[in-house]
Amino acid sequence: MARVKLTEFRAKSLILGDSYNGISVRAGEKFQIPVGKFVAKVDQGVKKRFKQGLVAIDKKASELGSFFKAMGKKGFTQFIVEPMFPHEASEEQYFSLERVRQGLRLLHAKDGGVSIEEHPEQVSNMILASREDCAAASRKTGIPQKFLEHLHDVFNDNFFAFLEINPLIVRGENVFLLDAAVLADSAAQFFVKDAWTDADIVRAKAKHANEQAVEKLAATTPAALSLKVLNKDGALFFLLSGGGGSIVIADEVAARGMGNLLGNYGEYSGGPTREETYLYAKEVLGLMLSSKSKKKGLIIAGGVANFTDIKQTFAGIIDALTEAAPKMRKQGIKVFVRRGGPNEAAGLKAMEEFLKKEQLLGSVYGSNTVITQAVEDAMDIVEE
Amino acid sequence: MSVIENIRKSPGGILSVGAHPQIFQAILDFDYLAGKKEPSLVGVIVSNRRAMKLFWGKGEVLVPCFPSAKAVPEDVARKVQWMLNVQSGRRTYDSTVSFFEAFPNALGGHLFAENVPERHATELLKKYGKTKIIAGPSGVGFLIGGTLKLGAIGGTDATMLSASHLAEEGTVAVVSTSGGMTNELIRDVALAGKRVSFSISIGGDRFPITSLADVLMLAENDPKTKAICYFGELGGSDEYEIVDLIKAKKLTKPMIAYIAGIIDEAFDEHMQFGHAKALVAKKDESARAKREALSSAGVTAPDTFPDFLEALKKLPGDIASDTVTAMDLSDRRSSILSTREIVDVEHGHEFVKGKKLTSARPYALSRAFLEAMLGREISDATAALGEEIFESLIDHGGNVSGAVNTMITARAGKDMVSSLAAGLLTVGPRFGGAVNAAAAAWLEGIALGFPAAEFVEKKTKGGNLLAGIGHRKYRVGIPDPRVASIAKFADLLKKHPHYDFARSVEEVTTAKNGKLILNVDGAMAALMLDMLMEREGFTREDLQALVQAEFFNALFVIPRTVGFISHFMEQKKNDEGLFRLPDELLFVNKKNLKKKK
Repeated sequence: MARVKLTEFRAKSLILGDSYNGISVRAGEKFQIPVGKFVAKVDQGVKKRFKQGLVAIDKKASELGSFFKAMGKKGFTQFIVEPMFPHEASEEQYFSLERVRQGLRLLHAKDGGVSIEEHPEQVSNMILASREDCAAASRKTGIPQKFLEHLHDVFNDNFFAFLEINPLIVRGENVFLLDAAVLADSAAQFFVKDAWTDADIVRAKAKHANEQAVEKLAATTPAALSLKVLNKDGALFFLLSGGGGSIVIADEVAARGMGNLLGNYGEYSGGPTREETYLYAKEVLGLMLSSKSKKKGLIIAGGVANFTDIKQTFAGIIDALTEAAPKMRKQGIKVFVRRGGPNEAAGLKAMEEFLKKEQLLGSVYGSNTVITQAVEDAMDIVEE
Repeated sequence: MSVIENIRKSPGGILSVGAHPQIFQAILDFDYLAGKKEPSLVGVIVSNRRAMKLFWGKGEVLVPCFPSAKAVPEDVARKVQWMLNVQSGRRTYDSTVSFFEAFPNALGGHLFAENVPERHATELLKKYGKTKIIAGPSGVGFLIGGTLKLGAIGGTDATMLSASHLAEEGTVAVVSTSGGMTNELIRDVALAGKRVSFSISIGGDRFPITSLADVLMLAENDPKTKAICYFGELGGSDEYEIVDLIKAKKLTKPMIAYIAGIIDEAFDEHMQFGHAKALVAKKDESARAKREALSSAGVTAPDTFPDFLEALKKLPGDIASDTVTAMDLSDRRSSILSTREIVDVEHGHEFVKGKKLTSARPYALSRAFLEAMLGREISDATAALGEEIFESLIDHGGNVSGAVNTMITARAGKDMVSSLAAGLLTVGPRFGGAVNAAAAAWLEGIALGFPAAEFVEKKTKGGNLLAGIGHRKYRVGIPDPRVASIAKFADLLKKHPHYDFARSVEEVTTAKNGKLILNVDGAMAALMLDMLMEREGFTREDLQALVQAEFFNALFVIPRTVGFISHFMEQKKNDEGLFRLPDELLFVNKKNLKKKK
């Protein structure tokens, strides 16, 4: 459903094929590096690696171990090792391709190097509407036509969305990729067969235990579940459902300047079952109960759902709330609800009765009340 | 006339690619609430079923299903203007291309799937972006108030449709990148005392086929649309296109916009929100930057959602009064069995008029039987073929197994229905049940396009028999008189491909063995196929459906029922007592009986 980063090792392997002589190194796995001088880099989709000191240059194989160790201390586990490629800084060019409506957008700068962001005016911009446009692009950029056509094919065959080569070095008909970054289209995983797989995708690691739990849960269901911890001692905690509506509700907090009080962000949508909703809600409630904030509010909100059954998902949330109710009462947490969709009336009624019984009721609204009302109510309470 | 206005005049039918009963029901409820005479969903492309039952108001209808876009019969195909594609992201591209190959003049469609690869989306937009209205990939579809509901847009249960007054024509165009927010906004329009002119959920994907700019131009050119209500998100740069359109004075109607995503500023790093596009990659794609750009172009783009709703109330197009749709679609019970009206039970037949016999229709009874089964009126030639078949198959002597079983059962003192059932239950692959198998074989033979010799080779592998070929009594030189008289029907037809094929198969098989002639089962199956095709306009798919429903076996069962009844009556008349097989006619193999030692 989105663009995902591939490792530089996979990206270059796909572009260069058999002629690629880089080596992928993963912490804990055995590897062999031949004799010679090498460049070693962290290969986990990190930008501006050089400036962050995540690159080792001109090292012998025997010197690499200590680099990996030092990086391991910073939490990095994946590396790429390539033979040293001596060149002049003046040779470095910038090149990128991105899929856009009209075709592929090519950006190129003769004097690119690593500081391209500082010189946007030197970048030339053209659209490759089809493979045939590579000839004109070659004349304009000086990059060999064959190589551009090859990139065009690799880009499409492997369902790339974005490719950046920076620096790129062109010596006559020969082209060298020093650094490469690729965003691939995760929706196309079925179509690329094994050209790239899950193992080649670099993902930001979930930092928080609750985030990790939701990540695990999300991997086992077709429903969409996500959780990001923003402030573990926040005051406002969200159980949001549905893409667009969730952003609208969260925006209301930002608009009142209370973004710093937001404990979490995330969504459950795509028709999760009662059990899945229960497990998801449990993580959010756990997070909320451990927050040190003195005043706290839980917002269960979302737009008018297309398919998600309100009665069913609310039953799952009530299951989780039942467990957390005694602690919530102790901490004086109230619950604010706004939701619409199939089985809205039955779901809202069950929720309101439950919250009343457990003395947790803040407010409960349906689809005839503005989508942001519950979060407004919660902010009023927290602000007092 | 504007495109939207054209669709209002003549909306056309929807063909769904893939099944999604919940969305289908919502479409039919919308049609019903809008006062349409029949459902806009005219068919569903799905294998493994032929019809799907849905509510139409409080009653029910069957929507026909077809295995492919090409298999949609002409009478349904004529109505198709829209594709509703509810296939998965993997299949969306191929199935969309197949649909538009079969329906090149269709007006557009909706791609429901969320995981359509970007490359597929850009290829589809290259093919259809300029000529068709296509909502998606992803999102909830396309709606014209009171005219067309293509997708889940506006809700999937009847309560939601009524609450948002979707069945009424309105003045506010609703455009949204988020499916859920499309519904939310449609409801908000109703709550603000207005109605939706049309709405497109352009989907949260990066490459919507019909773009935001396209939709806005549809709104600008639609005379019924007085104002535009837009929901966008952070990420992407479509909103700058709006700004350009306004600056170029191409877009002049009043517009309000809510761009969601300022919450992104509260995070350490940019977050990927639910929608594929909702990630800020460059600074100018932030919600705040886009709001500011829109505001500077004259769009009302408030900072909070409640302010946005206030602005919505101020848009032109208030309705004079709230017309309540009084139709209640709650409390519906689905039936558990469906069929059609086989015969006209309301009217009797008139055989005697003015003390005289009226001249009956030719082959009246055979015609009535065939029309009941086929569900349509038939020509004289087909009725006559039926007559020929029915007459020649009433009986074939008392030796055949079905007749024997009927007689034995009658002599055991059982009633007519039991005796008849005993006879009928004998009908099967070796006795009488080969007509259908023969029809299937001739259809398959023509579909495969093999020469007859190859077909025979394939079908008889491993010693299998060919249905419709071979007789115990008749052989080359001693023709079956029933086959000869049925064969004359070929003279009535311009073309008789199934009969020709059957004869060419016979040529191959008789070369091996003189007994392997075309038998009566094979001949009647072949000629009935040809007759239905030429005289009644049946397609190959129709004929295949008849084979699946075993129609061709009925050609045997119907007349033979009369034969069995006759044998039963004869037994009752003679009343010879209980039948017992005489000892000399039964061989008992005692050697094989194993005894315990």
